[in-house]
Formats: sequence, C-alpha cells, structure tokens
Amino acid sequence: MTDQTQTGAMPRPRRAWPRIRPARGLGFTLLALLALCAVAGPDLVGQDPAKQSLLDARQPPSAANLLGTDHLGRDMAARLLSGAQLSLSLAVLSVLTAGLPGTLLGIAAAWYGGWTDRLLTSFADAVLALPGLLLVLMLAAISPGSWWALYAGISLTLWVEYFRYTRQRARIVIAEPAVEASRLLGLTPALIIRRHLVPEIGPGLLTIAAFGAATAVTAVAALGFVSVGVRPPTAEWGVMMTELLPYWREAPFLILQPVACLVITVLALHLSVGGMRRP
Amino acid sequence: MTVSDTPSSDTPSIAVDALSVFFGATRLLGPVSFRVAAGETLVIMGETGAGKSLAAQAILGILPKGLRAEGSITINGRRVDTLGPAERSALWGREIATLPQEPWRALDPLMRAGPQVIEAHRYVAGLPPEGARKACARDFETLGLQGAERRLPAALSGGMAQRVAFAAATAGQAPILLADEPTKGLDAERHARVVGLLAQVPEDGGALLVITHEVAVARALGGDIIVLRDGRVIEEGQTRHVLAKPQAPYTRDLLAADPEAWPKSENPTDGAIVLTAKDLAVTRGERVLIEGFDLSLRAGERVAVTGPSGIGKTTLLDTLAGLIAPAQGSVQRAAGLGRHAVQKLYQDPPAAFPPHVSLERSLRDIARLHDVAWDRVTEYLTALNLYPDMLKRRPDAVSGGELQRISVARALTVRPAVLLADEPTSRLDPITQRQTLELLSEITKDQGIAIVLVTHHAAIAENWAHQSITLRAPA
Repeated sequence: MTDQTQTGAMPRPRRAWPRIRPARGLGFTLLALLALCAVAGPDLVGQDPAKQSLLDARQPPSAANLLGTDHLGRDMAARLLSGAQLSLSLAVLSVLTAGLPGTLLGIAAAWYGGWTDRLLTSFADAVLALPGLLLVLMLAAISPGSWWALYAGISLTLWVEYFRYTRQRARIVIAEPAVEASRLLGLTPALIIRRHLVPEIGPGLLTIAAFGAATAVTAVAALGFVSVGVRPPTAEWGVMMTELLPYWREAPFLILQPVACLVITVLALHLSVGGMRRP
Repeated sequence: MTVSDTPSSDTPSIAVDALSVFFGATRLLGPVSFRVAAGETLVIMGETGAGKSLAAQAILGILPKGLRAEGSITINGRRVDTLGPAERSALWGREIATLPQEPWRALDPLMRAGPQVIEAHRYVAGLPPEGARKACARDFETLGLQGAERRLPAALSGGMAQRVAFAAATAGQAPILLADEPTKGLDAERHARVVGLLAQVPEDGGALLVITHEVAVARALGGDIIVLRDGRVIEEGQTRHVLAKPQAPYTRDLLAADPEAWPKSENPTDGAIVLTAKDLAVTRGERVLIEGFDLSLRAGERVAVTGPSGIGKTTLLDTLAGLIAPAQGSVQRAAGLGRHAVQKLYQDPPAAFPPHVSLERSLRDIARLHDVAWDRVTEYLTALNLYPDMLKRRPDAVSGGELQRISVARALTVRPAVLLADEPTSRLDPITQRQTLELLSEITKDQGIAIVLVTHHAAIAENWAHQSITLRAPA
C-alpha cells in the first residue's frame, strides 16, 4: 500500500468528537477580556488615572478603589486599564505596520528572486544582526520618551520575522507545478497570491503576529521599567513597576498588579495560537 | 496455487493459506491462498488499491498499525504467522528477501555501493570479512557493476542503484524473493533489465513472488498468477492461460488496458501548423541534454516523446511551453495564437492544483478570467465523464484519475491550441490510464488541439500517438 493514490483505501480511525483545546479557548477568552479593558480604558472604573490624593496613598482595595491606590494615591485599577490601552494599542499597531510590509516584501523577494531577493534579504539580515531592544533604544535616544520612537523601533525589529517566514514559504509554493499551471492558465499575480499563498502562509503569519504582539508588549514594559520608554506620569505597566518597586516590602500587592497584567497578556497571546501550525 | 508435489519441509517454499487482512471488522484483503515452491514464480496482479502490497506486508509481518492478518503463512516449512516480531525479522534476508519499491531509496546514501553489499554478505549471510568481499566482487561482476564499488548511491544511475539493491537484498541467500512493484517508475530499458534479474531467480532454484500492476511483467515472468481486485481474488491459474484466455470480465479489462494491446491510432489529420520548433537545444547547467530538435506540430496531431529518464524531456516541454528560453534554436507559435494557447498537463495531478481551494473555485476563477460561461466548463466535465458535484471537493479528495481529467477540463477552458502532457498517466492505474488517454485523444481530435505527450512507455508512444520521437543523449 505505497501508491499515492491509495491513501483513501487505508481507512483511518475517525475521531469520535473534535479535539478540545482548552488552552486555546482560555487564550481567546483572556484576549477578549483584555481587549475589552483596553477599549473601555479607565472609564470602566470611572476614575482618573492621573489624579493624585496623597492622603489616600497605598490604600487596600475598597469600593471606591477596586484594586487600591498607589504611592501617590492614584487609583490602581484606572492606571492598569490605561496601561492596557497603551500597551495593547501599541502592540496591535506595530504588528500591523511590521506585518504588512514584512509579508509583502517576503512575497516580492520570493516572486522576483534575483537582485530583488538578494537586496531585501541582506537588508533583513542587517536588521536581524542588531539586537531588537538596541534598535528601539537607539531610536528612543533620538527622541527620549516619545511614543512614536518606541513604536517605530518595535515595528522595525518585528518586520524581519514576517519577511523571512513569508519569503521561505512563498519560494516553495511558487516553485510548485500548481503555480506554474495557474500562471499558464492566465491567473493574475493577485489571484495566485490569494489562492496559493495566503492559505499556505496565513496560519503561520497569525502565529508570528501573536508572538510579535507579545514581544511588543514586553518591550514597551521593559523600556518603561528602565525609564527609556514612556515617561511618568503616564500610566504604563513598566513605568508602574519602577514606581512601585520601592514599596515591594510594605505593599507587595501593588507591584504584583502590573506584573500580573503583563504575564496574563503575554500568556493569552501565546495560548491563543497554541496548537496552530508553527512557522 | 495448486501444486502437484507434496510440500516437504526442506525445499524452499512459501505457502499461504486463507490469508486475510482486516481493519477492525472490515476485510481489506482475502481470503487468498497460494503456494510457491523452488523454481516457481507467482505473480500477484491488480490495480492500485487492490490489496497487493498488503499481502506482501502480511507475509513479512510488517502490516501497518491497526491492521490484523488472519490465516496461516508457512515459509520453508515453518509456520511463521504465529511467531513474534523478533523471530519474524530474523527470517528477512535469510529465508525470505524483499526487493523494495524504488530500491534506490533503500540504499544508504552515505555509504559506498560496495560496502553496502559486503555488509549484507557479512552480517546477514554470516561470511567472514574476506569471504564477504569476494562474494560482493562476484555479485558486482555478474550484475555488470564492475567499478561501481567505490561510488556513493547518488553517483549511481537509477538502473545501477537498482542492481546494487538487488545484490544487497539477495546476499543473504534467501531462497524466496518477494518483489513489490519492482518496475515502478523505470524507463523501458531498466524495466527489461529488472525483469531479466527476476526471471533468473526461479531458474537458480529460488521461489519468486512478484507483485505488479503491469501485464508486461506478468507475461515476461510466466508461472502462476493471481488477479486481485478490492482485496478479493478475481481469477487465478497459469499466467500463460490467464493472459491468453481471461475468464473474469475484470481480467479482460485489465489486459485490454495494457498499452501493448491498444489498437494503433489512425492516420494524422492534416491540420494547420500551430507550433514549430527549429534546431532546439535543451541544457541543464553546462550540460547539453538535447540538440537539434525539430518539430512541426499540426492541429489535432498527437506526438509522443520518449527517452530514458534524465534526458531532459520535461525541460523540453517547458521550453516548448515558453516557460524556459531555448538555449539554442527557436520555438514559434502560429500567428494569432494567444498567450494561453499552450497549456501543460502534469505528472502528479494533486501537485498541479492549489491545494487549499475547492476545485470549483479554481475552475470558476479561470472561466471568469477568460470570459467563458460556466456552462461550457460543465460541458467539458461531462464530456470527460466527470460530474460537477465533485468540484465541491478539494484536489486531495478526488482520485488521481478524476483529478487528471479535471485538469484536462481546466486546460480546455482557456481554449488552448497545444497541450503539453508530462507523463500525465504514469501514476494512474492501467485501466484509468487507458480511459484518460482515450478521452484525451477524442477531445483533442474534436477540438483540433495538438498534443505532445511525454511518456516512458514505448507501447503508448507507438499505439496512441500519430508520431513518436525518441530522444537520445547527444554523442
């Protein structure tokens, strides 16, 4: 039973019911909740994340301050939500601006080959040679504390992965007889990309996007933590960690909150693409 | 098989009694019974999916997981189906040897040819090092492999690799040889050589069991034959008798599907010239594969191109299709032919369709791009004995024969003047092959389409085409 046409003759046991992937379900639920929080922002708790009240500093959770207050008496819940807004929108944005050109350039390199391919690949390799955070740090140094430098830096580091993955897969697909047949039959390049390439690379790109978003969220927090990224008094998870670090002994509950948010976000992103085809 | 002499325990023989293979409660094969004694040959013939290879796997004890064999298997007088896996594998090479399909894949790519055979003499046959070396040298001499001892499998031609594999498989002096589709994927010349090697086995006193879908192999080997279909024995008897006077309708179909038996095609039509190639050269890297190739292709004409593997047949087609610029000479289409006037048919139909898209969507895309009404496409499908419902599926969910016909319909949609077919039926069963090629010749005749068919089957070239071109390497 080795002929190709014969696979149908060898019955395979049918699964009794679709395999449940609890991890992926959990990832999606968490992501949906986080998205909801980010969209609603501080309005969800009706508090101003920047309003100080030194008399109410470091309060435990109460009806008015659901997650307590920080060292300046600001509402923790509102600050965390504001941080979620910032981190997630930055992540989504940088994934889009990295993913779109990365994918298109990858397809272009595979499609045209030759000089186009060599040029694009060497450029990607050059970017890859720099450690990701270093690039962001360099941009941040040009314009300290600015939001756009952070965003541009993260996008510039992330596009390479889309490019490399897409180019690699697209080269294989384009070399297949199926694409040659489609070309001979007069299919337009756009249609070839849609019918042949997208179904082949789509799932992998989704995985890279989720991992990329997780990288972006972590990078924003890491830069905020070392005071290179977003500056106080902006509510950002990394900045909050720095601010609350001196109080870790008296109020460990406070610093744990931004840390938990970061962990949950990264976990949710990773879980949501778990079990999918890996790049 | 019924054999008159009584089985004795010390003559080489293989006896199978009421062998069946099950998947759960479903019977995939059997019951089948036969006996092959020393000096005898048995051919098991049938289409793909007939369960031929299951029989081989059951005999060796290497059935895939989930499959279960019933019935008794006796090898050289010893009941083996009751033995454990270790005891059964101890028989391999010593009691029963197998020549695997596409044997060049069975060789170790990182080991030179000689040592692979020496190893078999040494560890399977148990010869001392010096004896093993001598035995290997003897094998290489009788098989015409002198000088190939130091070569890596990649540096051997396909035919040589096959003989090396044969030497390694038979080094253990196993009296029984089991060959599963030994001629699959071979060109005519190697085909004949392998059949010659196999025919030697019973003459040397061994028992030969050959599994094949090719009538020509059965005819050349003789002996006894079992015709299988869907796991059941359709017909059995002496090969000579069965091939001359088949009783079962299925056997008759199978024999009629043998290209040797096809009627010779009628004279070519006198159509207008659609494609001319002049003094064409085909190269691969620096190497010139084909030189001075001339062709004037007329509408409705069928041309077959044959030649040994690696001669550059596929590259020639791509050059004719305009996919590759000719290294020398020219390819000219008749005036007025559009960009899509030359279409290709591929050897492996599933590889020629976008795998993740339904067939209907693929075909509708093409119909839309070329302003062809969908009704026309369904007409083509009906003419090719396909039903449009099938198109809801993806390419991997229809059979190879169906998919190849769908790819013909797909090519017809763009109203081509020339079809270039690269071994379009080599992966199809004989019966499907015949149907597909017949349909192809009918349709191309009706529509005045010229077709160039690349095939390694001399009989197809001879009987199906109007004109046959044999490629030879430049001197």
